[in-house]
Amino acid sequence: MAFISLKNVAVNFPIYGAGAASLKKTLAASVTGGRFGKETGVTVVQALSGINIELKSGDRLGLVGHNGAGKSTLLRTLAGVYEPSSGEFTRQGSVASLIDPSLGIEMDATGIENIMLRGLVMGMSKKAVDRLTDEICEFSGLGEYVNMPVRTYSTGMMMRLAFSISTSVEADILLMDEWLSVGDAEFTEKAEQRMRDVVSKSGILVLASHSPDLIAKECNRVIHMEHGRIVEVS
Amino acid sequence: MSQVHSNLHRSAISDWWEGTRRTDIWWTLAWFDIVLRYRRSMLGPLWLTLSMGVMISGMGPLYASLFGTKLNEFFPHLALGVIFWAFFSSVVTDACNAFVGSSNYLKQGYFPISLFVWRSLARNLIQFAHQIVLYVPVALWAGISLSWSALLVVPAFLILIVNAHALGLLLGLVCTRYRDVTQIVTSVMQMLMFLTPVFWVPSSLPERAKYILWNPFAQMLDLLRTPLMGGVADAHNWWGILGWTAVSIIASTLLFAKYRRRVVYWL
Repeated sequence: MAFISLKNVAVNFPIYGAGAASLKKTLAASVTGGRFGKETGVTVVQALSGINIELKSGDRLGLVGHNGAGKSTLLRTLAGVYEPSSGEFTRQGSVASLIDPSLGIEMDATGIENIMLRGLVMGMSKKAVDRLTDEICEFSGLGEYVNMPVRTYSTGMMMRLAFSISTSVEADILLMDEWLSVGDAEFTEKAEQRMRDVVSKSGILVLASHSPDLIAKECNRVIHMEHGRIVEVS
Repeated sequence: MSQVHSNLHRSAISDWWEGTRRTDIWWTLAWFDIVLRYRRSMLGPLWLTLSMGVMISGMGPLYASLFGTKLNEFFPHLALGVIFWAFFSSVVTDACNAFVGSSNYLKQGYFPISLFVWRSLARNLIQFAHQIVLYVPVALWAGISLSWSALLVVPAFLILIVNAHALGLLLGLVCTRYRDVTQIVTSVMQMLMFLTPVFWVPSSLPERAKYILWNPFAQMLDLLRTPLMGGVADAHNWWGILGWTAVSIIASTLLFAKYRRRVVYWL
């Protein structure tokens, strides 16, 4: 049984950079008794706060909201990338995350090699990946391109490859940011079908999207986010 | 990866082990690092061997005549020194980038960060394997005879791996948070190359300067190099390096336990 539970979860990002938190300034501040405290004071962005979500098998949750409303951060938190700054997070079941298709793709490696890399990274054994390779190539519809370096691919082809690999693993929870639209009509059709297959195997789908149509079609629950908070549940 | 995932009740040791036991992942990642780097060159990773060979054979005669020593005594010393130092220094500088360089994975899902420290260490081991083979012709040419005591190089190498991993976790965490440290580490390693008997012979050191042999790299180098040249390393180097190992394990354990889940926020 897959389930996800978030209780009062908050995620705060310290923003370093632009010299704001270099060792020099930290040292200077400690030597000068914090006179430069303002300069070293790290800006903290509250990306998520007070998030309460309970999901169980069969739930298909749609996340909507403006750019920067916290949809992707929420997906990443669910994937286990960010450990919540406060609150409780529990998740049971294996996860396939399709948050950014190009992440974790080695540009100079061939399609086949990327299947191996990504498969391993997603927790499969080498044997399991070998078994699945043909099926993944088939589903991606890339043909002879699977033996070419990924840097020769178009964005759509890269997305096909990533989607095919990620959804071939038996996963209970599917996390997706909207990028299905990159594919052509034929592949989008196939991809949506596969998405439904995953969910019908008593899984959970969390989909962030700007398209009301897609959300209406795929999801049975919708959460509306604004400024890192849930403002509306339906 | 794991079936149940929660931000509560997860011990540092199980996080560490989770990353360590997946040898197939980090070994494959490391292997691809090397393969992809040399994919479009004809000789591929053989360049590692070739460029090291050129460097040693260029430096050997020069330094032997500078120091006024016999080439067949000095050459094995220099060859092992340069090869091991290349390994030490690239392990240390790569460790600084262990997490920054793996951010494309870390930002995608939950990964135990020890995995990426092993990845960078494995990559360096592959490079090292391409370079240490050069010692075989050097040793044959210099007529080095090995006894059973040469096997002491095995425990020494194990200590090296333990230290490299502990230091890797430590530097990886610190360098991800404070990006300046990477630059500091790079220049410290350059300086240490001259303070460690890589090129010169420890016995040529004046008495009052002996303390520089206390640096962990000098001790480690002696433990690895002397057995391969048919000698026996000083006992105090064993004690010294065990002390350093304890320090690096404790420091990295503390940092790892406290910050292992914060790294992603720093990327």
